[in-house]
Amino acid sequence: MMIRKIIFGVAIAVTIVAAYSCNGKKSAENQNKINDTLAVSHNDNAATSSASDAKNTVSIKEIVNAYLQMKNSLTEDNSSGAATAGKKLEAAIKNFDKSALTEAQKETFKDVEVDAREHAEHIGANGDNIAHQREHFELLSIDIYDLVKAFGGGQVLYKDYDPMFNNGKGAFWLSETQEIKNPYMGKAMVNSGTIQEEIK
Amino acid sequence: MSRLKKIFLGIGIAVIALQFLQPAHNKSNQVLATDISQTINIPDSVQTILKNVCYDCHSDNTHYPWYSNIQPIGWLMAYHIKQAKNELNFSEFGGYSSRRQLSKLDGIANSIKDDIMPLKSYKIMHKNAQLSTKEKVILINWAEKSGDHIYVK
Repeated sequence: MMIRKIIFGVAIAVTIVAAYSCNGKKSAENQNKINDTLAVSHNDNAATSSASDAKNTVSIKEIVNAYLQMKNSLTEDNSSGAATAGKKLEAAIKNFDKSALTEAQKETFKDVEVDAREHAEHIGANGDNIAHQREHFELLSIDIYDLVKAFGGGQVLYKDYDPMFNNGKGAFWLSETQEIKNPYMGKAMVNSGTIQEEIK
Repeated sequence: MSRLKKIFLGIGIAVIALQFLQPAHNKSNQVLATDISQTINIPDSVQTILKNVCYDCHSDNTHYPWYSNIQPIGWLMAYHIKQAKNELNFSEFGGYSSRRQLSKLDGIANSIKDDIMPLKSYKIMHKNAQLSTKEKVILINWAEKSGDHIYVK
């Protein structure tokens, strides 16, 4: 009886473990399948859709809006607000409609996509560390600038420059207003910086 | 035999059974063409630090401690390594776009500055991962200089 129980116990343990490791594999396979399917349906879209510029602008606008929301949170030293915007931006980049892009635009987006998503993700995950969010925001701003230059921002944007951030290395950001509001310095020196470029 | 004893015996046997399920080791035993050393100049002083405190999790070659053979420690480690490599893999660095390379180099400098990396839990288990100020400066300067180089390109 005793031995039976032990064997039973081991059998259950092994089954559980085996089931877990199998599940892992299966879900990975499923994920691949899903990705494949998405890729296929996406290609279909590209082939059949007419040039729907409007749709495309809406999406880039969503990306820009999430970025600006993040920027505005940082100017107010609001790290949890920046984190919320980070999650929004991550989703916007992920769901960006690429079907109506030109080849050159596709290439720019592909280049920017992975990098920008990582920055957005980190800003989203660091709602308790504004210094770290600003470090990622600096690099994210380069990505968004390149996107806006290639796609248009759907509105007038200003490229503002702060010569002091990062131990005097300097950094820029994008803004929707002519008034300077510095996301790197926050409330401490919110008006410092200059307009470098007007992007129409 | 009391009920309690049986339960403990059952758990003991389950733990032993677990030991037969070892995760695959993260060890390619070669320097890939995409390795960071093929893309960026790495002085010996930097290479030593990278190898001692970064490569266990951020490359395709982990130096495994003995306790990694005990489960579930080995699994936990495998999970950590997977996540770390997803974030930054020095063995695949050359395959990143220059935009991402720059981001990663900046990230290296920043996470050392902010004391985010190496992780606390890793430092507890690896005495030589306690970076001195001098070592930190070496690493940060290298990452920033290499980043500037890429940015100019």
